[in-house]
Amino acid sequence: MRRAGPVSYTHLDVHKRHGAGRPVHRRRHRQGVSYTHLDVYKRQGEDKAVFDELIKRFAAKHDGVEVAQDISTSNDYNAQGLQKVRGAAIGDAFATFRGAQFKNFTEAGIYTELKDSKAVGNYQPGLLSAGKSGDSQLGLPYQVVFPMPMANADLFAKAGADIAPKNWDGFLAMCEKLAASGVIPISWPGGDVGNGGQLFNCMIANNAPVDDMCAQIEQGKLKVTDDWFIKMLNQYKELIPYLQPNATGTAVEPAQNLFSQGKAAMLATGSYHIAAVRGLGATFPIELVFPNTSDGSGKYEGAYNATFILGVNSASKNQAAAAAWIDFLSEPENAGYYANQTAQHVTVDKVEYTNPDLKRLSPWLEKKTALAARFQFQNLDVRNAVEASATAVVSGTSPEQAAEAAQKIVDERL
Amino acid sequence: MSTHTKMAAERKAPDGGTETDAATRRRRSPTRANPALYLFPLPAVAIIAFFLVMPTLQAFQYAITDWNGFSAAFNYVGLDNFVRAFTKDSLFTNALTNNLKFVLMVVIAQTAFSLVLALLLTKNSRGSILLRALFFFPTILSSVSVAFIWKFIYDPNFGLANAVLGGVGLEALQGSYLGNNAQALYWVAVTQVWFHAGQMMVVYIAGLQAIPRELYEAAEMDGAGKWQQFKSITWPFVAPATSIVVAYTTVQSFKAFDLILGIAGNPPKQSLDILSTRIYSTFANSEFGYAAAQSIIFMAMIALVTWLQRRLLRLTPKGE
Repeated sequence: MRRAGPVSYTHLDVHKRHGAGRPVHRRRHRQGVSYTHLDVYKRQGEDKAVFDELIKRFAAKHDGVEVAQDISTSNDYNAQGLQKVRGAAIGDAFATFRGAQFKNFTEAGIYTELKDSKAVGNYQPGLLSAGKSGDSQLGLPYQVVFPMPMANADLFAKAGADIAPKNWDGFLAMCEKLAASGVIPISWPGGDVGNGGQLFNCMIANNAPVDDMCAQIEQGKLKVTDDWFIKMLNQYKELIPYLQPNATGTAVEPAQNLFSQGKAAMLATGSYHIAAVRGLGATFPIELVFPNTSDGSGKYEGAYNATFILGVNSASKNQAAAAAWIDFLSEPENAGYYANQTAQHVTVDKVEYTNPDLKRLSPWLEKKTALAARFQFQNLDVRNAVEASATAVVSGTSPEQAAEAAQKIVDERL
Repeated sequence: MSTHTKMAAERKAPDGGTETDAATRRRRSPTRANPALYLFPLPAVAIIAFFLVMPTLQAFQYAITDWNGFSAAFNYVGLDNFVRAFTKDSLFTNALTNNLKFVLMVVIAQTAFSLVLALLLTKNSRGSILLRALFFFPTILSSVSVAFIWKFIYDPNFGLANAVLGGVGLEALQGSYLGNNAQALYWVAVTQVWFHAGQMMVVYIAGLQAIPRELYEAAEMDGAGKWQQFKSITWPFVAPATSIVVAYTTVQSFKAFDLILGIAGNPPKQSLDILSTRIYSTFANSEFGYAAAQSIIFMAMIALVTWLQRRLLRLTPKGE
């Protein structure tokens, strides 16, 4: 079963060969310092094969360099990843996900300034903000994902449902048409905290009074007991008839299955699941749908996230090799290979998308999309509590009670 | 001392001393005779000190700081972290409550279930041996595998539990299982019991097989019924095994970390959060000092519960 969400990471070991001969044993590299380790977050299992090919190409261009890749699960990355990387015993180059982890790595002083690097010039400037800290460009967000429900365009056509609703009533009407056609409108993995939480990015975007709403909730400037948040929870409540039965007990894999088997018209996770859904046998055209919670005057048409933030370890003794690897990944040709093979858009400019799914969804790169709000939370307990309020509403708790329970945890951590 | 004894004692020993001297040396501690023997346990002591004692002492040190796990600077905050856990952190108290509920449920259910299994399968017939193997089988699986198996059993859409209920016309009983906050912990407790009951069954079977058959024959001749036989013969013999089963089950239930994370995902939702998963989340939240304090509370909790059990469950065979 493919992994979903930011759940695994890969170690890439870059070794310099002594001469052009056969590779020297890793231990000798450690002693000889000519060693780079890259921790790269992965969203799909396919990434390993893609990186294997990129490593081959990198090694071919850089004579005397060997790159080894190993993959581990990253459930514990947040707890241990930083500790592993900070001493540079591994992770001369590494990746973090946006939000709390990027902040922690930044505060630990592990990132190296990349503002003047060759790589930076290859990125779309507007998509680099997630890797900035003040005036410094510490990391390069590599992927652009859309944490929005994926849609089975065939089922939408069959039901005559509008795939681009302009407001909340339009979205509910769309769900009603899909339900009337005999399919589950939305498959939502409410039992999986990470993937179930992605819907939150869409639901909050046009409801919140400010763009840094989650940061302000965490700081106590906004409360989840405020009217706008309660309104959002009520909208979650209105979704209940359109979700699969027992949605709050559904893990991500069964949710993907409902969608890929054509039993559900939408999968409310994000574009990062395209490859997984294709792997499960889905052959229908996939589109994205924005649950537009506004009355039609909403600021945003969708949500996106720039993540998988590449960086060079400041404690590394082999920064040149690490920087070369990141430069290599940042070249449009290589970024394009990564994108097309993994069905992930990238932040690198001038990339040619040949993957049919990416080509179809590329217009979303130009739309007015909100940067995924849930990653503004720096405290994971707060994030989980706030998102859990939505899940609680879907399981039958009143919006007011769910909001109060979440606010209590926020208050405890102020 | 008799003359013969005295003579024997003063007889020359092979090493030139008297036998009295040799006996004195034998009575002396070997390490006094050869202090070099002290060196033998040193590697084990060093390993324990390095991997157990030092980290534990460090945890005590971190527990009174606000260290975030990566910054070079931190402050000593006294007992603030301990106070916070019980007064200002509802996630911690929720996890504590969940954990105590979970331990109680599993200890009662697993002890009773494994005893019943053992009573039913004590005889060494082919059928019993096969059933014993079947019930023991989950024990050899990894907890992660068990978690994934049961995660799919409980899945409301494709899961075996709802499929079976639907198959026998009991659709009304089909449920959301892990999605139901009021029930989720019970369903994980069922998994935990399934996972470990076979192992505890073996402990009970060992106890049951040590009971002399003659006791039952005599009891039957005296006209004792099955319940009386259990009360007067079986239970007194298996009572010590119950102490072991309860202690083991308690510790297993406290550290059901991998089962919970496997079945509920990381982080688990609040209804499935137990102390070990909460501590893990606190570490992941870069609150190392606070997480260390939680770990110490956790350690103290296990020690307290184990001590209480030993006080309350002094189950020894009659006559001892």
